Amino acid sequence: MNAQPHKQESQPQGITRWRFRLVLVVFAALLLAVLTRLVMLHTVEQPFLFEQGEKRTVRTEVQPGMRGTITDRYGKPLAVSTPVVNLWLNPQQVNVQQLAVIATDLGMNPRELIKRTERAAASGRSFVYLRRQVEPALAQQVLDRRVAGVYGEDDFRRFYPAAEVTAHTLGIVNIDGRGQEGLELAYDAYLQGKPGSRQVVKDLYGNVIKQLQVRDVAQPGGDLQLTIDLRLQYLAYRELKAAVNQHKATSGSAVLLDARSGDVLALVSQPSYNPNNRAALRPEHMRNRAVADLIEPGSTIKPFTVAAALMSGQYSPGTAINTAPGYMRIRNKTIRDHRNYGVLDVTGVITKSSNIGVVKLAHHLGAESLWQFFTQAGIGQASVLGFPGEAISQMPYPEQMDKLRLATVSYGYGLAMSPLQLAYAYTNFTQGACHKPLRLVMEQGVDMPCQPVMSEKVARQVLNMLETVISKEGTGSRAAVPGYRAGGKTGTAHKVGGSGYKDDVYTAVFSGVAPVSDPDLVLVVVIDEPKGREYYGGEVAAPVFSRIMEQALRLRQVAPDDGSVKNLQMAGGPA
Amino acid sequence: MPVLLWMLVLAVALAQVAISHQHRELLQRWQQQDAQRVALQQEYTRLLLELSTLGAHGRLDQLARKQLNMTDPEQVQVLRK
Repeated sequence: MNAQPHKQESQPQGITRWRFRLVLVVFAALLLAVLTRLVMLHTVEQPFLFEQGEKRTVRTEVQPGMRGTITDRYGKPLAVSTPVVNLWLNPQQVNVQQLAVIATDLGMNPRELIKRTERAAASGRSFVYLRRQVEPALAQQVLDRRVAGVYGEDDFRRFYPAAEVTAHTLGIVNIDGRGQEGLELAYDAYLQGKPGSRQVVKDLYGNVIKQLQVRDVAQPGGDLQLTIDLRLQYLAYRELKAAVNQHKATSGSAVLLDARSGDVLALVSQPSYNPNNRAALRPEHMRNRAVADLIEPGSTIKPFTVAAALMSGQYSPGTAINTAPGYMRIRNKTIRDHRNYGVLDVTGVITKSSNIGVVKLAHHLGAESLWQFFTQAGIGQASVLGFPGEAISQMPYPEQMDKLRLATVSYGYGLAMSPLQLAYAYTNFTQGACHKPLRLVMEQGVDMPCQPVMSEKVARQVLNMLETVISKEGTGSRAAVPGYRAGGKTGTAHKVGGSGYKDDVYTAVFSGVAPVSDPDLVLVVVIDEPKGREYYGGEVAAPVFSRIMEQALRLRQVAPDDGSVKNLQMAGGPA
Repeated sequence: MPVLLWMLVLAVALAQVAISHQHRELLQRWQQQDAQRVALQQEYTRLLLELSTLGAHGRLDQLARKQLNMTDPEQVQVLRK
């Protein structure tokens, strides 16, 4: 009993010593290994590890800058950007089973979404848009589900409250917010906001816990105020659309200008499109016909030939011109009037729209002086607004004009211009000795320089002639505006086909001014290829002119000037 | 001397903690206000669009004609009491 414990104590003692040492050495080695590793991590591998750590937590956040608002002349919004959220997911992080509930939230097909995500995950992608431009409330609902791998980023969406009414003028932006057409394109750099970016540290759930630095602060783009009057734009659009439908025309356009300042008040085209629904866009509907289409102005040019004659000092409104026998042969072509008008005075040439009359004036003036006058008046000028896709007006040079071409130019054939350019040219008659450039964008405190094109006296004489066109004897009697003295000129141009002018395809034009006593508005209406029984400018375009003008003058509170309205009488009351 | 240095180190360390706490608080406040700004902007554009829809010329024209029985003034008009 006694010997056993002694034996036990003495025997292990021999073994313990080397065992103890071994353990000590092993522990020391382990400690050394750990220490070496620690030193290694802190020195040699530190930069690599630091970088990797940053990669996992530090994010550069980009905040989009808001695109500027476009308003009409009274500040009514025409194009507004509103905040939305782009939802995206990382297929590598997402659990596809959780996607079903999100798909139902967004009204998407769950199986399709899961398939799409699996395919993206298989191909190694780590960024897939779930849906772009989601309304913030809905996006928040989706994000609140806290599905791993689903994220949202701020973005803006463009809304056009007036939709198809202003579509052509404003143009459109693409899904990335860059201007594609119209003013959105022309002023893209100005409207575009500057995106901000900042460096932040994020936790696992994507919450920002620390802001390291702010590189740029997001800045909104500039606002644009147009000279367009939305009320007049609505009105012009409605009347134009009705007329295009009624005459089964392929297209149409109308341009309404402020007669005094050259401000563009309405600029509409048919057919149009809804810029808020990008899925249904069709290129042929996006053409801004008032600006981009070239038309042959036809007889609407005659007042300029007459004005050139009056400016030469050799003619007065009463000068007699013999248009008998109603036709004229130049080279192998016959120019004719509707019928033989006999001897007309200069005013009568405009009233009856006599081709022979203006050709005689043009031949007497010569190509050089006619060309010079037309060019000064803005006919054949390259561009009047600097609008994207603006048509370049075409007119032959005087050296190119022989007797026949000079004759055709004098009544509006063989030269081409856009409806906008035609309207611009007509402001010559309302601004007289001081012709101002057109304006589509309001600029405060900028006084436009003006050019003397014709004298006040000639402008007034031509206006009075234009008024006779709308009288009973004139070609544009259907353009009469109740209550106001209006003046204008009809035009009907054959369209050019594969082999010269087509006999049965027309462009109907009416260009006019009201009220004549003190012009306030200039309006050009173009109806392209009317397919009904009526196709003359006086039948198709003139009634549209009348309707738009009457309502527009009323909206602008212009007093009637034809003397028919003296005072209102109340029944039973004092007169 | 070492005691003084230790005190200094301690003070600086505490100050650092306080500052980073303050930074986080400010950041959170900024984030809340930024979210509020976005929400207000959203609300503003929504109201702006609503206003322009309700005040559209065509709509007012319809309302005036249909609900209020208004008509265009005519050339000669006799008003009855």
